[in-house]
Amino acid sequence: MDAVSPYHLKPWLAQYGSAVPATLPAPEATSLAAMAGAATTRHAKRTAFTCVLPNGMYGNLSFAQVQAMSDQFAHYLRRVVGLQAGDRVALQMPNCLGYPVALLGVLKAGCVAVNTNPLYTAREMNHQFVDSGAKVVVIVDLFADKLEQALVGTAVKQVVLTKVTDFFPSLVGGIAHAVMKHWNRLVPGHSLQGVHTLPAALHQGTAAAGAVSGTGTGTYTETLTHDSLALLQYTGGTTGVAKGAELTHGNMLWNMAQMRAMAADRIVDGEEVVLTALPLYHIFAFTVNFLCMFDAGARNVLVPSPRPVQNLQRAIENYPITWITGVNTLYNALLNEEWFTAYPPRHLKAAGGGGAAMHHAVVERFEKVTGAPLAEGYGLTECAPVVCFQPLHGLRVKDSIGIPVPSTEVCLLDDAGNPVALGQPGELCVRGPQVMRGYWQRPEATAEVIRNGWLHTGDVAVMTADGTFRIVDRKKDMVLVSGFNVYPNEIEDALAHHDAVMEAAVIGLPDSKTGEAVHAYVVLREELVGKVTEAELLAHCKTLLTGYKVPVRVNFRIELPKTPVGKILRKDLRSEALKKS
Amino acid sequence: MLSETETRLLGVMMMVIMLGMGASLTFKDFAIALRKPVGVLVGLLCQYGLMPLVAFLLAKALALPPAYAVGLILMGCMPGGTTSNIFAYFSKSQLSLSILMTMSSTLLAILMVPLTLAFYSSGIEGQWQVPRANVIQVLFVLLVPTVIGIALRKWNANVGAVIEMVGGLLGVLVILFLVLSWVPRNSQLLMTTGFPVYAASIGLGLTGFTLGYGLSRLLRQDARRSRTIALETGIQNGPLAVLIVLLTFSGTQQQEVLLIPVLYSLFIVLTSSAVTVWFRRITLREELARDAAKIGVLKAA
Repeated sequence: MDAVSPYHLKPWLAQYGSAVPATLPAPEATSLAAMAGAATTRHAKRTAFTCVLPNGMYGNLSFAQVQAMSDQFAHYLRRVVGLQAGDRVALQMPNCLGYPVALLGVLKAGCVAVNTNPLYTAREMNHQFVDSGAKVVVIVDLFADKLEQALVGTAVKQVVLTKVTDFFPSLVGGIAHAVMKHWNRLVPGHSLQGVHTLPAALHQGTAAAGAVSGTGTGTYTETLTHDSLALLQYTGGTTGVAKGAELTHGNMLWNMAQMRAMAADRIVDGEEVVLTALPLYHIFAFTVNFLCMFDAGARNVLVPSPRPVQNLQRAIENYPITWITGVNTLYNALLNEEWFTAYPPRHLKAAGGGGAAMHHAVVERFEKVTGAPLAEGYGLTECAPVVCFQPLHGLRVKDSIGIPVPSTEVCLLDDAGNPVALGQPGELCVRGPQVMRGYWQRPEATAEVIRNGWLHTGDVAVMTADGTFRIVDRKKDMVLVSGFNVYPNEIEDALAHHDAVMEAAVIGLPDSKTGEAVHAYVVLREELVGKVTEAELLAHCKTLLTGYKVPVRVNFRIELPKTPVGKILRKDLRSEALKKS
Repeated sequence: MLSETETRLLGVMMMVIMLGMGASLTFKDFAIALRKPVGVLVGLLCQYGLMPLVAFLLAKALALPPAYAVGLILMGCMPGGTTSNIFAYFSKSQLSLSILMTMSSTLLAILMVPLTLAFYSSGIEGQWQVPRANVIQVLFVLLVPTVIGIALRKWNANVGAVIEMVGGLLGVLVILFLVLSWVPRNSQLLMTTGFPVYAASIGLGLTGFTLGYGLSRLLRQDARRSRTIALETGIQNGPLAVLIVLLTFSGTQQQEVLLIPVLYSLFIVLTSSAVTVWFRRITLREELARDAAKIGVLKAA
């Protein structure tokens, strides 16, 4: 990079003020296992996790319990199953109390966790198990029926089954599980052989550790350093074949520290209650909600499924939530619930948004309703994930992703690899301690994204003079109308400003006259369905957008295709539209 | 006729049911419902405007003797039954509205039941009257566990949720208990009971379903809400009526007044099951239509 480019000067450092240090010292803990141990020592008796079901039933685990149980699971993996350091363990469950136990157990065993989306099809699961070489799968019973097929040709030698209600008080857990199984028929049968349940695995771990002298898990992790692999986090499943991003203990510890620094005094040790509605298998919730908040001694309120969004009602009513993280669709859905707008969480200090662009209108309404700032961040799996965040203590520029987190370099490059001029769009590239080592066993794919030491994100952004970044769009989602670049986010935001619009997605489709044309897909608020016309929305767009950006068609939908974390899948809309024409 | 022990048992069970109902809701749910009270108000209108009138007119039309007429009118004046929530769940109706209607009609019962009961039974001979004090006493005693239920829910969500489920289950068990303990012992009576009594017992629920639906549609509630209100209107709190009768009358008088409330409780399970299956089918069909609309592109009107 050119030494005099605007990015080299890091103009955003001025925005750190006194609240955020420009660079951070290397994290003290040698591994995530050591971090968890230290956090437990500080907060042993506090409640670490509370899992809340839609009817308000809950189960709790304290820091000390999580510590003891994850130790047992580590012993189980090493001494009962016979895993070695560096072996991969796939975790496949929604947010539940078994997750922190299993995840920390894997890390304390010196093994590598492979977060797996429980909604995957058997084929997708199979790909991930084969690619990662996982030897153990910890899976929730709700999806065990797919597993048999998914295990064909994999190295998996042991399956551990969890329940959403594991570690609940026994009567409550028993009733809740019975309702799930016999009433809602959510728990399928399976014919897997030699399966252990998670509680049984913990028993076996305890027994095995008792039989050997020196029962600590320290021996499993003593060789771990910041460079050791902690996580294989699969990504790119929506664009092509899923690749495993190799995230090290160092990547994760650094990103935790960076996130904590950006939150400044809004995360107070031992005082926070964080609502975790996003799945922990997703990297954003994993780093911010799970790791960062665990380290801060926070109580983590886990919701197994945030859909329908009413599932969050009891969790928000019953606990003094101070932090929420979510994606645009989640906040939008919450703001459409009367119970939320009438009684917003009173103790909320801040909310974080990421995963996909937040819409201006949603942020404004959320802040008005709750009185707490909703800061938008930007990140990607390859960066563990946080790269930029709006500063909570300073100026939060609307529609921006804020400024790079400490100890991170960001620059915008053109296709030739040169920095673009200030205010010009360029591909956002990152260098920092949170950037992954590479893609698991895919050197070519790694070389494609990490060039000259910079991770190329594939996102197009612009920077203002004070170092604030704004994402323009995904490089590949850009629509080329008569030679003009149209970025779908801008059009979606314009549509979202119309009162009748609940959600909008915009894509480009081939057009005989303009090359590509802008097509919009809109979900109207329920009470207004059929009462707002295409012409009305187009007229609304014309007041906000230049002619070539205005959609040629507005299609009304009842629902938009989304990923499990709620990102709208533009590519599904496009392929559907292309198939039709 | 029920024995002393059985009466007491019924009383205790009713308390557990009310405890469960209290535990199913929070004060916030109420406050939210009152922000858009139309649905609940329509429900209350059906509950205390429509049902007592239907009972009264049925009694007149079928020329029921005073003992049966009082049983029928009492049945018509009751608040919504807790079993309606289970049927609402199965029929894929709007569960939250159903629970709120049951809850609000129960809380208002202490005011509305004595009022409607006195009004519609004013023409009936004195010895068959249900004293206002008895009604108020029973309802008041039942309010206590309801409030405790709400408090328990607030204190601990796990305890609240378990009590809610136990209460709902007991609601069904109590009706089964009433039917199983009462029917065999009174088979002779059932054989000799004439058509008008059966017509009244079955007709009250069926008319309630029909008119409840009609009135809600008339008051511009959508089809799904109207189905919810219909179920809620038709399903009355049978065990509560039985309890009031047991505490008011004795001997053969008790047995006669008890006939319609017990028969109603028996038949309402059957008729609402049938209605539930039917409603469920309609809801599924509507959902399928919605799904179909999702796939095709809807051109705005």
